[in-house]
Amino acid sequence: MDMLACPIDKYHPLELYVFDEKNEIEEGLIACPKCLRWYPIREAIPEMLPDELRKENDDLPFLEKWKEKFPEKILLRGKPFCLGKGK
Amino acid sequence: MSGGKGVRVLDEENVRRVVRKGYSEIAKGKSLCCGSSRVCCDEKTSVAVSRSIGYSEEELASVPEGANLGLGCGNPVALASLRKGECVVDLGSGAGFDCFLAAKRVGEEGRVVGVDMTPEMVDKARANARKGKYWNVEFRLGEIENLPVADNFADVVISNCVINLSPNKKRVFEEAFRVLKLGGRLMVSDIVLLKLPSAIRRSVKAYVGCVSGAMMKEDYLKTILDAGFQDVKVVEETRFPIEYMINDPTAKALIDDLKISRKTLISLDNAIASIKVSAVKRVK
Repeated sequence: MDMLACPIDKYHPLELYVFDEKNEIEEGLIACPKCLRWYPIREAIPEMLPDELRKENDDLPFLEKWKEKFPEKILLRGKPFCLGKGK
Repeated sequence: MSGGKGVRVLDEENVRRVVRKGYSEIAKGKSLCCGSSRVCCDEKTSVAVSRSIGYSEEELASVPEGANLGLGCGNPVALASLRKGECVVDLGSGAGFDCFLAAKRVGEEGRVVGVDMTPEMVDKARANARKGKYWNVEFRLGEIENLPVADNFADVVISNCVINLSPNKKRVFEEAFRVLKLGGRLMVSDIVLLKLPSAIRRSVKAYVGCVSGAMMKEDYLKTILDAGFQDVKVVEETRFPIEYMINDPTAKALIDDLKISRKTLISLDNAIASIKVSAVKRVK
């Protein structure tokens, strides 16, 4: 986390939310507090892709799965996908 | 990137998509390149190619099996320059071969971060890291034009035959500049063109075989300078042997596909070079 920056606005440091942890963080969320973009950690790999390489079909189910643990601002206003109105 | 008259200019997104797909298939071992012909991912061939581009036997033996896909044009000079404790970012880390060699050189106090945009490659690299117990290497799924790395983080940015695949090389060098500390160095190896073969340039398939996305050498060096780097030097230049192209299954498929004549092929022999470039970030 000490080296990660938002690939879009280069903001650092980013926020980390851990959902499932074994030896490493298996599933979790990395969020940019500045632009509210969020990046999933799946199978212990932080997926720091720009919007055009993100897939709604993969990311919305992830968001649904962990919505109890997602911070509200990301859940409702996160980019590129969120559960809020006018997404 | 401009093509000649009548040549379809590939748009950025399209190139990116095709490159990602091509490498994902190579990672899965089922591409044209690796599946049907069994040539390039054959461990023996990968090792032979790697040895001939300058990696030592010791280096080749030291990485986990499967990390060396034999795809790069080689970056041993960059690796040799690494010192204990340095932070390294590898652009387009693939299955992790160069990252693992870098990890050995920077030692436990050092760190290596590999960035690659192909999920299958990152999976593979991570599995290799576990297999080889490399705790100082991390892999991130990301784009080299949009690095998920903080400003002024790296002592060294390395990249092995990857930047030529980017449809926006200017942006890649600007990002490398941004993540480097003051005094940090860029050490990349890449494929450049010494002259412009239009038959090759227009094919998307050749992108994945490393050739078509290549820039003219002068333009490549100018792009690095324009990104803010100083002391831009070509530390090594090797004519890319035509035998590699002819033996490379991707290139083979391409040659068939484009119906490139033997004459054109021979003309390419002096058109393509592999270069190793070093540069330094001296000012913000």
